Amino acid sequence: MEFCFLRILKLTMKVLVMLLLFLGNIKNSTAYFSSSSEATMHTNNWAVLVCTSRFWFNYRHMANTLSLYRTVKRLGIPDERIILMLADDMACNARNKYPAQVFNNENHRLNLYGDNVEVDYRGYEVTVENFLRVLTGRHETAVPRSKRLLSDEGSHILLYMTGHGGDEFLKFQDSEELQSHDLADAVKQMKEKGRFKELLIMVDTCQASTLFSQLQSPGVLAIGSSMKGENSYSHHLDSDVGVSVVDRFTFYTLAFFERLNIYDNASLSSLFNSYNPNLLMSTAYYRRDLYQRHLEEVPVTNFFGSVMETIHTDSAYTSLTNKNFGGAKTKTFLGQSFSSSDINSVRNSDDEDQFNNLTAEEDQHDEAGQCIFCAMDSGHLWSFILGNVSTHESVDFFVCYGLVLMLPLLVFSTWLSL
Amino acid sequence: MTKKKKVQWFWMWVIGSVTLRLILVYFPRNLNLSSRPEVSTPLTSLRRLAEGYWLKRSSMSPYAGSMYHGSPLLLALLGPLTVTRIEGQPDQLLCSLVFVIADVISATLIRAAGRSLQAAYSSSLKVLGLHQLSETSEVLPSGDFAALVYLWNPFTIIACVGLSTSAIENLVVVLSLYGACKRLASLAAFGWVLATHLSFYPSILIIPVILLLGYGPDAPPRKLFQRRIKLEVGNSSSIGSDHLKEELKDQSSMLKVFAWRLVVHFLIWILLWSSYVLVLCGIYLQKHGGLQELYRRTYGFILTIPDLSPNIGVLWYFFAEVFDFFRSFFLMVFHGNILLMIMPLALRLNHRPCFLAFVYIMISSLLKSYPSVGDSALYLGLLGLFSYELKDIRFSFLLFAGYVGVSLLSPVMHNLWIWRGTGNANFYYATAIAYALFQVALVIECVNCMLNHDRMVTKLTTTKLKDAKS
Amino acid sequence: MALLSRKGTLFLLFLFSIFLLSASASNGSGEEEEEFWEELLLKPLPDRKVLSHFHFQNEAPLSDSFARHHHLFPKSIAQLVKKFHIKAMELSFTQGRWNYERWGGFDPISSHNAKPPGVELWAVFDVPPHQVDASWKDLTHALSGLFCASINFLESSTTYSAPKWTFQSALGSLRYGTLPREAVCTENLTPWLKLLPCRDKAGLSALMDRPSIYKSFYHSQRLHLTQAKTGADPKNSRVVLEQTLTVVLQPNILTGGTNYVSEAKMQPSWSLSSIFGRKINGRCVLAKSSNVYLQVERGLVTQLENLQSSTATFAANGTNLDDFGRNVGFELSVNPDRVLKEVEKSSSILYEYPIKVHKDSEQFDLGITWKHPVIWSTPHVPLYASRFLMGSGNERGAIAICMKSTESTQELVAANYVDQRCNFQVNVLQIVPWYIKVYYHTLQLFVDEKPQILTDFVERMHVSPSEDKVSPGLMELVLKLPCEVKSAVLNIEFDKGFLHIDEYPPDANQGFDIPSAIISFPDFNAGLQFSDNSLSKTPMLSKLQERSPVISYTEVLLVPLTTPDFSMPYNVITITCTVFALYFGSLLNALRRRVGEEERRLNDKGGKKDALLNRVLGKLSSKFRGRSSVSSQPSSSSSSSLISPKLILRVLLVAGIAVAWQYYS
Repeated sequence: MEFCFLRILKLTMKVLVMLLLFLGNIKNSTAYFSSSSEATMHTNNWAVLVCTSRFWFNYRHMANTLSLYRTVKRLGIPDERIILMLADDMACNARNKYPAQVFNNENHRLNLYGDNVEVDYRGYEVTVENFLRVLTGRHETAVPRSKRLLSDEGSHILLYMTGHGGDEFLKFQDSEELQSHDLADAVKQMKEKGRFKELLIMVDTCQASTLFSQLQSPGVLAIGSSMKGENSYSHHLDSDVGVSVVDRFTFYTLAFFERLNIYDNASLSSLFNSYNPNLLMSTAYYRRDLYQRHLEEVPVTNFFGSVMETIHTDSAYTSLTNKNFGGAKTKTFLGQSFSSSDINSVRNSDDEDQFNNLTAEEDQHDEAGQCIFCAMDSGHLWSFILGNVSTHESVDFFVCYGLVLMLPLLVFSTWLSL
Repeated sequence: MTKKKKVQWFWMWVIGSVTLRLILVYFPRNLNLSSRPEVSTPLTSLRRLAEGYWLKRSSMSPYAGSMYHGSPLLLALLGPLTVTRIEGQPDQLLCSLVFVIADVISATLIRAAGRSLQAAYSSSLKVLGLHQLSETSEVLPSGDFAALVYLWNPFTIIACVGLSTSAIENLVVVLSLYGACKRLASLAAFGWVLATHLSFYPSILIIPVILLLGYGPDAPPRKLFQRRIKLEVGNSSSIGSDHLKEELKDQSSMLKVFAWRLVVHFLIWILLWSSYVLVLCGIYLQKHGGLQELYRRTYGFILTIPDLSPNIGVLWYFFAEVFDFFRSFFLMVFHGNILLMIMPLALRLNHRPCFLAFVYIMISSLLKSYPSVGDSALYLGLLGLFSYELKDIRFSFLLFAGYVGVSLLSPVMHNLWIWRGTGNANFYYATAIAYALFQVALVIECVNCMLNHDRMVTKLTTTKLKDAKS
Repeated sequence: MALLSRKGTLFLLFLFSIFLLSASASNGSGEEEEEFWEELLLKPLPDRKVLSHFHFQNEAPLSDSFARHHHLFPKSIAQLVKKFHIKAMELSFTQGRWNYERWGGFDPISSHNAKPPGVELWAVFDVPPHQVDASWKDLTHALSGLFCASINFLESSTTYSAPKWTFQSALGSLRYGTLPREAVCTENLTPWLKLLPCRDKAGLSALMDRPSIYKSFYHSQRLHLTQAKTGADPKNSRVVLEQTLTVVLQPNILTGGTNYVSEAKMQPSWSLSSIFGRKINGRCVLAKSSNVYLQVERGLVTQLENLQSSTATFAANGTNLDDFGRNVGFELSVNPDRVLKEVEKSSSILYEYPIKVHKDSEQFDLGITWKHPVIWSTPHVPLYASRFLMGSGNERGAIAICMKSTESTQELVAANYVDQRCNFQVNVLQIVPWYIKVYYHTLQLFVDEKPQILTDFVERMHVSPSEDKVSPGLMELVLKLPCEVKSAVLNIEFDKGFLHIDEYPPDANQGFDIPSAIISFPDFNAGLQFSDNSLSKTPMLSKLQERSPVISYTEVLLVPLTTPDFSMPYNVITITCTVFALYFGSLLNALRRRVGEEERRLNDKGGKKDALLNRVLGKLSSKFRGRSSVSSQPSSSSSSSLISPKLILRVLLVAGIAVAWQYYS
């Protein structure tokens, strides 16, 4: 039973920690409300790029993600505002003929992996749990800032996912699924916790459109590569790498973005119209009913780049407030990590016991055991016994004698009760 | 004369089984039973015991490293034997000898218990005036039969040769039953305490043992005696003849009253023995966390099933697959399943305490967390004790065939899954399910059959009473 | 574009350095300033490969205040040190396995930089013992964020342990963990480079062209952090951050060879540009010193001397390899400033090339051209250790660590006299994850293929057995082996555990890794002694010269575990629960069925169908007058008396269930 209690205890601790973090976020956001008058102003851009599929033959999914990564970096989103999740290591994979290089085209002109790529979650870390934690911001306190989505209610978030999907689910690592409900709930939480102003979800899987069916939060825009019942196919195969290197939807998205630079303001609708079903071999799906603004005047850099519209303010301090808001947030994180360290020390105390074999706690146990015996038979005897059996050999001998002594005792007692 | 022949015939068979065991002990390598999952569960494997003894000798807690989960007394008893090697002899020879001896002792105890049971039962039948029944019951010596079944049961032999400590656990269980049958309170208490200490599940045997001490061994339902006595009273009042008075007297002596003194003695002895055992354990573990550690590592290990290595039960696979947040709930359900059945059985079978004990043992070996063939060996042996009452059991052939089939099939499936890698876990799990089903069928059939037997006896006595009245 | 940016950065760096100089001038105290060195060591290997070893060292005084402005020292590392009270730490990312036979195991480079594949991390904290695990956990998370690796998997107590004797600086508060399957790639190198003052824009680090590094046979990227006490008081202790990158490359052969016959046996001639595809243009201006070394190791030197003595032409000017590169063996494209020789005879030689301050005119490109085919061998580890699994099937197995003697142990024997028996010490550290259930009592030691009693050879032994789902098993042995030992084999058996379905990784059928064992030889000294210690010592030279034990790692073992059927949970739950329900229901049914009673009641009905009323009356009267009329109406009385236990049974059952439910829920 005491295991159950211990588990419950741990669970409550976890919950406590999460709740602490949650409160921290709330506090920040409220502080932000109070500090800045324009709460809904577009403050910054974030991008969460997820490649959910493992194994070498899914090279193209990683290539998709990395090419999006390169595009958003080129259009001005800095690395610390990009959460990149790659479910497997293709660049230095033993099967990769070009180590530390990933190509999305058979003319190997562009090395997507580049010289400074920063992968935040990779390998076994890319799980549904971690993905939802990133979206909802419910991390353990020890998780570093580079792995968190520290967006506020003024930020525009691009969420790009690619992998193998089906009707209302997306497979992670061939072992678990992200259901459309999970996604919708996470987005709803984000909205309620003020983690985004506008969110663009872009999914390149089979039957991608079904993943959006449960969404209901305002300010969410969704693009899927294929309708329900359609597959989304890969574009072409690179015979040197040995696998197909890019998916059609992503390929034509990139084809659209390669023509752009950070300054021209092509609208989202032009992006949407650039998809040609004959080329995609599937019909791209847009869900725009939750999105208020007209797509004609929304530039793509609204999500894919980081372009601030500069508005003239007479008070010079608003920006400053934003800054030291950031500072305040870091402070809170430090404090939480300290508190967490205390909690962990409590939690791990029994783990470190086994490092040094005899511990204080066990001695306490011993005391307790003695007390029990004092209750059972005369304490003097017990203390006397403990006194003269000290070394292990004598203990063993004593116990063996005790065992042997059992038999005559048994015979005697049976004779008694005859 | 015939008795004597029967006796030497019995001992011949015993010696035969011992020789067979010894022969098998001398080839441990090429049948390698000690590592079979059917024989050595985490609780009963001697290899883990040796590891625990090694840790103890290198001044660590024997329970460090979640290897050993048995009792410290076993460690003190068998530990030294695991490290002593005799040149030219197979390893662990001494341990296997200990197990062989334990088997023989328990067989003899079963025999003695069976004899006393049989005697008591036939006499009680005589009292009820069912003489032909008592004759038929005396035809087959169920004690010898049960002992031989226990000795020659392949499960027992495998468990003994496979160096599983379940032989000793069975011995203490049988010891307590024997003591209860012979109405030796201290012996019963000793057996019960040790059995509980070694493998925890026999703790539920306290109910049948108390009943056994209180009401004596198995008998037909008690109300029949009452009715019989009343009838006699009526007759004697009507017709005053002295020889009727005589037989009335001894029959009224046959009428059982609950023997409180014996039960109180029993409880006192339990207290003494358990304190003795706990003191020994406490001394043994005083450097390593004392009794808390003991309880955590033995009973805790039995109750919260952390080891998922496959055995002939079904719980390992269940808890390997079940979702973590349901785990504790299902733990409670499965252990509660044992507890829930205690009361009803005790109410229904309180006049047959031995049979009640048998049913408890069977249920616990069906539902326990790390079952091994040693447990089935025990209850199959005890089954022989009731060979007369259960002679007209249904599906007996089907059950027999099922046991044989499962015990042949499950090693094959295990081999396919673990060694060949051509089958997956479900193959082995399927055999485990089948085994569980056959056990369920057996226990239910036994209970049914016993109840029917009681009904038969009741009917006969009531008819006799009726025509005696008229 | 790129060149422009480089120029720009260089300009900025110049400005920054000027500012730095002024700053250091302003606070004049000697140990306040931060220092940075960069060095590169190149070494031809016997199997036509080239070892290149980058060494960057960065020192800063340890100050208590958080808000300290760092000029050179990376702020993130300083924060780590302050926040987690790290006394010493080493983190290494490795791909490929160091080839101890071909590339040697007795030199400081290999014993420091030959690491197990994947990630290896150990750290020493100076915090009270009950906080060590907490700070370890936070440290792993912080590092995982810093280096883009999933080091945070080391947080769970099943992955790290606390060895006692293997690491010198073990003060109880040391924790050690490895991730054998961690992928190492560009995203790990980039943050590592960002710790350098001039990233990879200038200086030696500009050589690091990612594809050519990751094409290598072995590369290990290391980060070593220590607190060096410069004075008596702990106030003025310095944090020393030492970053090394060790790469073993196959140079693509320059077509310098004239005779194609000997091209096969000939060592490939190479240059920096042919290895890395880049050249060094200028040093990192912030570096205190920036040198390139070329090491010619013992075996090669002896070979060359033999060659020289054999060829008559060079008999005149005798054996001096010091006249730069004009020896028979090879030719160097650039003349070294300085030649360092080891003290004893037939010792390795270091050619030193300081990198000048950057001028666009000339780029530094060191090259070596071989003239004669030379075959030599590198100094070996005393005992060449290899580890393998034994047994088949997924139930149990055994781990065997096999140590074979090499020529260096023979040398040792030769060194000591034969009559007095000489021993040398071998430390073995073996960590196994908990699902490998090791039976420590089955540990066997075979010396020269003969089983031995452990106590004859094992001096000390420290075992902390693995707790299920809590901690890994750890075994440390200190062996005393005789010098003339040919081979020593350690053998220990284990059972394979069975995990819960959630504990398997997505690719469970690939198997599980047992991290590599560490074999160290404290009696052997890997360091080199150079003749002129008078000259200014750079960090790498001092590193090469410091006394350090020989350490070697064994292979990582891959253990396949049986997997349950991952698609089964619902089926298993339903089927098992069905079985138990069957048991419970049918047993209860069997208990509460009363065939005889029904029969008797039917008979009674048949008997007195007429007088139902007086039967009821009789019943009532029997109720009133107790059991007096029992004999007259046995059936009814029995039925009435037999109803009560049934009721009791039901009530008890319901009550029991209710109580259980109340208690559990």
